Amino acid sequence: MRGAKSAKWVAIAAVVALGATACGGGGGDSSSGSGKGNGVVSVEIGEPQNSLVPSNTYETEGGQVINALFTGLTKLDASNKVVNAMAESIETKDNKVWTIKLKSGYTFHNGEKVTAQSFVDAWNYGANQTNAQQTNPLFSHIAGYSDLNPGEGKKPSTDKMSGLKAVDDSTLQVTLSGEFSAFPSQLSFTAFVPLPQAFFKDPKGFGEAPIGNGPFEMKGKFKHNELIATTKYDKYPDASKIEVKGVNFKIYSNQDTAYKDLVAGNLDSLLTIPTSGLPTYKKDLPNRTIDEADSAVGYIGFPIKYNKAFQNADLRKSISMAIDRQTIADKVFLGARTPADDYISPIIDGYRKGACGDACTLNVAKAKELYKKSGGLPGNKLELGYNADGGHKEWIEAVANQLQQNLGLKVTAKPFEQFQTILNDLDAKKYQGAFRMAWSMDYPDAEDYLRPVFSKDAIANGSNYSGYVNESFEKLLVKGDQAPTHEDAVKYYQQADDVLLKDMPYIPVYFYTLNAGFSDKIKSMKVAGHQILWDTVKLS
Amino acid sequence: MGRYVVRRLLQVIPVLIGVTFIIFCLVFALPGDPIQALAGDKRADPNIAAILRAHYHLNEPLYQQYWHYISGVFTGDLGETYNGRAISDIVSERFPVTLKLGLTSFAIEAVIGVLAGILSALKRGKFLDNVVLVATLVLISIPVFVFGSVLQLEFGMSLKLTPVAGIEKGWPQSYILPAIVLAATSMAYIARLVRSSMTESIRADYVRTAIAKGLPRRRVIGVHALRNSMIPVVTFLGFDLGALMGGAIITERVFNMPGLGGQLAQSLYLRERPVVVGLVTLLVLIYLVANLVVDLLYAVLDPRIRYE
Repeated sequence: MRGAKSAKWVAIAAVVALGATACGGGGGDSSSGSGKGNGVVSVEIGEPQNSLVPSNTYETEGGQVINALFTGLTKLDASNKVVNAMAESIETKDNKVWTIKLKSGYTFHNGEKVTAQSFVDAWNYGANQTNAQQTNPLFSHIAGYSDLNPGEGKKPSTDKMSGLKAVDDSTLQVTLSGEFSAFPSQLSFTAFVPLPQAFFKDPKGFGEAPIGNGPFEMKGKFKHNELIATTKYDKYPDASKIEVKGVNFKIYSNQDTAYKDLVAGNLDSLLTIPTSGLPTYKKDLPNRTIDEADSAVGYIGFPIKYNKAFQNADLRKSISMAIDRQTIADKVFLGARTPADDYISPIIDGYRKGACGDACTLNVAKAKELYKKSGGLPGNKLELGYNADGGHKEWIEAVANQLQQNLGLKVTAKPFEQFQTILNDLDAKKYQGAFRMAWSMDYPDAEDYLRPVFSKDAIANGSNYSGYVNESFEKLLVKGDQAPTHEDAVKYYQQADDVLLKDMPYIPVYFYTLNAGFSDKIKSMKVAGHQILWDTVKLS
Repeated sequence: MGRYVVRRLLQVIPVLIGVTFIIFCLVFALPGDPIQALAGDKRADPNIAAILRAHYHLNEPLYQQYWHYISGVFTGDLGETYNGRAISDIVSERFPVTLKLGLTSFAIEAVIGVLAGILSALKRGKFLDNVVLVATLVLISIPVFVFGSVLQLEFGMSLKLTPVAGIEKGWPQSYILPAIVLAATSMAYIARLVRSSMTESIRADYVRTAIAKGLPRRRVIGVHALRNSMIPVVTFLGFDLGALMGGAIITERVFNMPGLGGQLAQSLYLRERPVVVGLVTLLVLIYLVANLVVDLLYAVLDPRIRYE
């Protein structure tokens, strides 16, 4: 009797357990199925930091989705040059007042026509502090920006920037607060795309299912941590140039897993081959890899502003000359980095091969000499801070060993739990040691490698964590901003770059490279600014 | 029994308040800045960061932040993440994945573990027993991520029997491999637990009596011996159900499953106090309920145990 009852209990428990797992389980969706030949490709991304609002997207994961869903005024081509996208023409006489004519025929995915006003509204929203958008500072060049950003606790007196004017449906006039020759280049950043009226009614809902004006439209909603599915938007003016019928952005929390999926054929594109795949990826993906320079630069920085020990430029140079960049690029990164020889990335107009010269070349004797001349570090001790969350341990320890050997310093590598913890300690002037740092571009212009990282303004508002200030550098930046042609601007920015190379506030250590792979479903594809150029994707 | 259940359920309330407060304090004490985390690898704009901090009460002292959170919870609002998503949405999105994964594992470890344990106990010292002992030893000693990666390579990439990762194919295809990985260690423990307690029961007097009475062997083993051996196993299973729900962090990462484990890890990394607290509270609830069910099952298994 008893026995029978208890057996029933166990049986019921088992049935309940199995039943619970089964119910709702069958609903595995097939919408993301990417069977060969249907023209839909899948692309790896990480979970976007924020919801899919262009002005709130300041990182590459969400940026890739925004790039597929929206088209801005300018864009990058396969050689990282800025070309017009929705802009018919962009004209200025003084680098201050810009007249932008729009191409016709562009509509949002809900049918609404894209007009100059769509841009004005979107940028006003992005620049308004009330909306607390991540890319807010990118709008700071536009006249009237400060009215929208009076500071915490204060309400902006207006919600429109005085510098923005929609002259008519197809003419946009932008007045900047100062000259800025890199403006058209900046417009290629995804924060500057237009927004439809529907956005302003419900920004939150929009972030889950954005309505763009780009080549692909959302298919359903953003499935967090899982999938963002899109299909080709047939009314897109350049739709005929795009072979891909849809893009599924598959969200991975782990690139090792994504790599396995790529090799197994369940994923069509992975822009960052993880370290575990680097030794074999060319064999695993025959003729289906991309290896080219990427936009980012890796540095070792010094808190010049508040640590006197680092204020001597010769000292910083001696450290730089004691680093064997080639070994780090080849042995530690397995070729996924190249030695840095400039502050400007090789993919940018204005990069000069070998610009850094001796200062970025291993020379132990000279390094020792300079180190002595500079007076050295107190106690011959150096601390190298790095964030343990980003795969930096190996190269920082390699640098530590090299400095120890080549300069006779006692070097300790200090891990910080997260990148933010280093930033906070630097902000609070608490951390005294050298630190690892990196910069990736927002827009492809030499200016973007200089001002946001090394200018006086960037101490408070940007990424100048060293606290470096040099007036002649500032002046040259302004000259570049005011230059009448792009070529002239590049010349001035290079001169500013020369000032940096002389002062060496940060030591450039390596350039990132793009090591990407794709499945046999794709015949060829091109990538610029960490974004797939969809019109270059050819299917096999 | 009814009063016992009510009393146990009432105990849940102080436990939950205590747990949420402790977790809140722990996450609060972690270094790092959730608003800077929103900006990724770039510096958060100071003005925007200040506005967001004020909006999420991040400048206020711990007790006030906790008060904002807990008073929201009592009005049914679990709060939102620092990028503006409702936590209730996250839970309802992710909990089903973990529930399916956890219960599938639970079924695997209960069924296979108990069966292997029984067989092993019955064939003590024989070949089969040795196979089980060696197999469980191997399962216990292999780290989860290694086991997961090996299965992924074998079944996902080489044989293509299951998806490598993700939940696209739904239950059971997408869940079977991660569930096996998740269940592996506990399955091995259960097999050994069943084996040793069965070995003991089989030698007990009442089993000998039952055999002597001429009861069929299946009934003697399945009812008389097994039922008495189940108490430690059920205790372990109850504990393990909670552990499966929370402990899937590595498995979910290896198999890219959008479940609670991954979310917990991610939120902890982003310092999202309300999310971490909400998820942990949910896990604690599951633990408490599972343990209550275990306690009630004791009486079913052993009539000498009574509740008042």
